[in-house]
Parts: sequence; structure tokens; C-alpha cells
Amino acid sequence: MPTVSHADSAPLISFRDVNHDFGNRPILRNINLTVRKSEFVCLVGPSGCGKTTLLRMIGGLLAPTSGEVAFNGHRLNGPAKEISFMFQDYSKALLPWRTAAGNVSLALEANGVPARKRGPRIAELLKKVGLANHAEHFPAQLSGGMQQRVQIARCLAQDPSVLLMDEPFGALDAMTRQSLQDEILRLIAASGTTVLFVTHDLEEAIYLGNRVVALYPNPGRIAQIFDVDLPAKRDQLTTREQPNFLRLRRELYDFVREGEA
Amino acid sequence: MSASRIMWTAGSVGVTALLVLGWQIIANYGGIPQVFLPGPDRAWSALVDGFANGDLAELSLATIERMIYGWVLASIVGIVLGALIGSSRIAREYVAPMLEMVRPIPVSAFMPVVIAFLGLTGAMVTIVIAIGSIWPVLLATVQGVSSVEPRLMEVARSLRMGRLETLWKIALPSSQPDILAGMRIGLTVSLILAVIGEMLTSENGLGWHVLMAARSFRSADLFAGVILLGLIGLVSNVILQEIERYMLRWRRR
Amino acid sequence: MKTLKGLLLPVLLLVLWEISFRVSGIQSDSIAAPSQIAVAFWTALADGTIVRRTGETLRAAMTGLAIGGGSGLVLSIIIGLVPPIARLLQFSFEVLRPVPAVALIPVAILVLGFGYGMEIALVAFATFWPVLIYGHAAIVNIEPQLLDVSRVLRLNPFSRITKVVLPATMPRYFVAFRLAVAVALIVAITVEIAANPIGIGYELMQASQSLRPALMFAMVLWIGIVGWTLNAVLLFAQRRLFGPAAMSLAVRT
Repeated sequence: MPTVSHADSAPLISFRDVNHDFGNRPILRNINLTVRKSEFVCLVGPSGCGKTTLLRMIGGLLAPTSGEVAFNGHRLNGPAKEISFMFQDYSKALLPWRTAAGNVSLALEANGVPARKRGPRIAELLKKVGLANHAEHFPAQLSGGMQQRVQIARCLAQDPSVLLMDEPFGALDAMTRQSLQDEILRLIAASGTTVLFVTHDLEEAIYLGNRVVALYPNPGRIAQIFDVDLPAKRDQLTTREQPNFLRLRRELYDFVREGEA
Repeated sequence: MSASRIMWTAGSVGVTALLVLGWQIIANYGGIPQVFLPGPDRAWSALVDGFANGDLAELSLATIERMIYGWVLASIVGIVLGALIGSSRIAREYVAPMLEMVRPIPVSAFMPVVIAFLGLTGAMVTIVIAIGSIWPVLLATVQGVSSVEPRLMEVARSLRMGRLETLWKIALPSSQPDILAGMRIGLTVSLILAVIGEMLTSENGLGWHVLMAARSFRSADLFAGVILLGLIGLVSNVILQEIERYMLRWRRR
Repeated sequence: MKTLKGLLLPVLLLVLWEISFRVSGIQSDSIAAPSQIAVAFWTALADGTIVRRTGETLRAAMTGLAIGGGSGLVLSIIIGLVPPIARLLQFSFEVLRPVPAVALIPVAILVLGFGYGMEIALVAFATFWPVLIYGHAAIVNIEPQLLDVSRVLRLNPFSRITKVVLPATMPRYFVAFRLAVAVALIVAITVEIAANPIGIGYELMQASQSLRPALMFAMVLWIGIVGWTLNAVLLFAQRRLFGPAAMSLAVRT
């Protein structure tokens, strides 16, 4: 059974009075948030609440119009080496002309890992995500779930301390989604990686996270932060039947509906 | 291949054979003097004879060499320049419009200009070919490099890849389909320019050979030469297509 | 603003070119300063040379286009509506298409001598292919329901073609036509440069050979202007005649 990690006390990522505009459209207002090491934080909210924008800020792909986004106590000025970003549209985020192994290799190459050390590391990573037999296949030959797993492997190749995931399972069918959810929990359990996970699926947010940040839209603001009070070991069937799970689910659903009103 | 496809292909080849037969019949009995329309038999024997006893092999080789050298040079310069222009927004805004202005001018119109600058030696013809064939590759590369899937560029940023690394590992490979298509057109252009160049400068080669054959009314030699040129064009194109198919094998089926 | 940016570099280059000419004070047989080119252009325009030569080139190019494009159109309809014919003719097409029009210049010279005839014939050969290929693709991709409608209405073949097939494929044929016009111009000028003593290309070669570089460059410039203008006019016509709606509805993409 996959395990959800428990947090450490030092803040790893912090948003301080972050506001963001796109042209003259306000996207985010007054974002104050801290994420501690090894936390699994899920960001939820309706469309237009800026959750992807928040994630991209941590990823260094975007700078806030005002306020500060800090990592390890220092202001973020661009993509950080220890932070890896996983995109939702896996088919566009993988290099179609490279094999699965080649795609994973890209991260190693970018990090300056010498050629002879790459091979074993790639094999190890692909094995971890269950794609050992597909190393020489091109993305066009892989299913959606498999492509997403290649992306996971590429992200892990950076040895990240923070994993940013932008609705990674949104485009997949329910069964694949569930198996990948467990796989993520399993993969980070040992390494204690901090994860920020953006999703539309409220149940997924509760299942995976130990904190759920709910955002209101237009402009995006933090409405409420829920602590997930569930046992660390998660199981697709039993966890989803737990009274705390159902209670949280009800709370979140109500909250979202209010927000949309 | 299914049975019906084989049948149709055979039928198609058969139709071509019929047309060749028709050509033979017209040449023999159609009342057109042999000097204008030699039959396929005479063209074929001129072809065989030219290789066995004549210098057709050398001439073909000279033309092919020119074509290939010019094309390779054009492709390398075209890809490098195209990559530099395409990857820089500034360059695109200031340089690309000028390229567009030059585009409608037929490449052959450049020939006399460049020949005027560089003179009439054999090596210069190759350079002229290169200058002429550069355009399709250059334009295709600029197009490809400037329209890379934005998500891939973000992946590169996220992995903190430098500009050159991004160009080499993301932008250029992503532009392979465009670049290869441009190179295929460039090859066609370089054959055309090789032929014209030989006709204009009397340099050794098939272009010169067929022009001379026309002037001295040696129609069988002329047809043999034309067939040879067509073959060179066809074979080089097919080879390039196969290479393209291999290089693009990662594409969605 | 964008046009200004695009013009900056070419204008800068022209100025540099002019200045370096004036400063160095050289007299050259093969290069001319922009001011001299402008003068030569204006003179040629005033004394009717440009008008006369352009008329010659266009006459050959458009006649050839009418013949080649016209036959391409007719044949594309036939093979489009009767697929077995297309399959049987495929091999013959594959064999003939890669022959570069320039390779046939000597053949045309042999058979038709110099002048309009050979140029028209070569343009016809070159423009036949794009119209055939694109036209065929257009016919094959007609929205099937339109053909069903024509069957249900019991239209005879002639009506079917004129009332359904042609209107439905008109936008794509126009695109093919635009391409064919460009090809016609390119081939015509190429033939004139290579061998034929008529038209703009010939004027260019004459200027080059009589060591009048200013006139030669002026001709190159003029060719570019003609090509660009023709394309712009046709593009405008295309947008007016077939708005985006017409382009997408009748033909499956």
C-alpha cells in the first residue's frame, strides 16, 4: 500500500504577498503560502483560479508581478535545479524523435551527467516506472499512461527535492489514473520528495495529499486550506471509504460549489 | 502488398511499356524524321554505347558531383544560417522580410549575376549551385526553428538548458520534417542549376552534352542524355525519400 | 512598424553598397552601384525595353500555362472521377514527372528551334504537373455527400462536372493555379536565360554578356517585382473569390 509522507518543519517553498497580472487582467491576488519539506500539497479550484500559474511560478517559468516566491529561503529567479516540472500535455512535453530512454536521458544531459553514467541511471529510472521493456520505443508507440510515466522518469532523473505536477493525470482514463496515483505515492515515499500537485479532481487531491489548498477564481485567491487527516498508507478502495475522506470530500465539494456561485 | 495492389502496379507498368511501344512505332512508321524523334531502341543503344565506349559515365559523374557538392554545401550553410535566424526573434523581424523579398526571384536569374562575380571555372559553378539551392533549405529551417512546439521550449527552460543546447537538441530535431522537405526541394534545384550551369559555361557534364547533341542534331544521344538526367533526378529523389522516411520514423503512424 | 523593421536591413545594405562604390570609385564590368541600377532600370522602362521584353516573357508563359495547366485540369478531372485510370497511369507519371524541364530544353530546341514555340512547350510541360497533382488531390477529397447529392439528382456526367465537381474544387484548383503561374514564370525565364533569345531572361543575359552590369541587375530586380506582383494579385483574388468559408466547406481536409 502506498504511503503518504509526513512533513518536515522548515519551509521549503514560500509565497509572500504574491500578486500577478496578465496584461491588465488580475490572475492572482494576495497569495501567501508555505510548503514544508516532504509535504504533498494539492491545489484545487475551478478554472480561472490561477492554480497552474502558481505552479509555474515555483517552476521558475513565470515571475510574479509583485511579491516574492522563495525556495530554500532564496528568491526564485528562474528554474531551479532541484525543482522538476511535469506537464499535463505529455504528448507535447516529450521529444517525439527520441525514444523513452532518450527522453529520460535529456534531463541527465542537461544536468551534466557524464555519458557513461547515464545508461545505468536511465535503466534504473525506467525500471522504477515500469517501462524497462519500452526503453527503445518512441512516444508515438506508447499509450498515454506510458508517456506520462516517461515524463515521471524524466522528472525523477533530475533527483528533485520538489516535484511540480500540473494536472498530470487529467487526460488519462480512470484506471490508468488510479494506478499512476499509487505509483507516484510509491516513488516519492522513499525519497521524501516534496510534491505540489494541481488537479481538478477533488477526490484525487484528498487521496494523494496531506494538505489541500482550495482557491477561488477571478482573481485567484487562497480561500481555504484543508488538512488531510487520513492514515499515511493509502489504498484506492479502503481509503476512499473512510469517514474522514468522505467528510473532506463533502467539505471540498460544498466549498467549490459556493465558489462557483 | 495485397494481390490487388500488385495487379494494379503491374498494370501501371504495363501501360508505361505500351507507351514506350507506341513511341517505337511512331518513330519507325510515323513519318517523323529520325533526326527529331529517335525510337527508344536508338536512344537505348546510344545510352549503352555512350557508357561502354564513350564518356557518358564521366559526364554523368561530373554532373552528379556538382549537384551533390553544391547541395551539401547549400544544406549545411542553409541549416546553420536558418537556425541562427529562426531562433532569434530579432533576426526574424529584421532579416526574414528581406529573405521573403528575394524568394520570388527564380534561382536561375541569380546564375548570371554570380557568374559575373565569380567567373566561369568549374568550381565556381558548384558554388553557384550552392547559392541557388540554399533558399529552400534556409527558408524551411527558419520556418521550422521558429515554430517549435512551445511546450518543448518550456521543457528546455525547465531543465535549464542553454540557448545552444536548446537549438541543437530541441529546435533543430523538431524541425527535421521541414528541413528534410527543404533539402529535397534543394536537391531538385541543384540538379536544375547544374544542368543550366553546364549549358551556360560549357563545363564538362550532361547539360553541356545534351546541348551539344541538340546543336549537332544527334537526336539519339540527346534523348539518351535526357533519359539519364531524368534517372539521376528520380534516383536521387528516391534515395532522399528513403533517408527521410528512416529519419522520421518516430512520427505518429 | 513591422514593415519598417523589415525594410531596415535591406535599405542599410543598399546604402552601404552605394557608399562603398562611390568611395572606391571603381568601374566594374560585373558590379554596379544601386544608383546606376536605378538609372538603368528607368532608362529601360522609358525606352520600352522592359515593356517589350516583359510582354514576350508573359506571352510565352501564359500560353504555356494555358496549354499545360489546361490539360492538367482536364486530366485531373478524368483520373479523379475514374480511379482505375489513375492507377494505371501512375507509373508513367512517376517516370515522367522527375524529368527537370531544363533537361528538355535541348529537345525542344531540336524539335522546335528557338523562339516562342519551344518556350511555350517547356512551360506547358512544367505547369502540367502541379495542376494535375493538386487537382487530382482536390477531386479525390470532395466531400462524398456532394457526390451523393449529384447522383440522387440524376445529373448527367457533364452537369455533374460543371455543377458539382468544379465548384466544389474551385478553391483548391485556384491554389494549384497560383503555383502553376509561379512555375510558368520561373521556367520561362530560366529557358530564356539558358538558351532562348526572347524575353526578360534574354535581356538579362545580353546585358551580362555585353558587360552592362547595371542593366543586368535591373533585370534581376524587375523579375522579382513581376513575380511578387503576380503572386500578390493572385493571392488577393483568392481571398476575394474564396473566403475562408469556401475553402473549408466543399473539400474535406
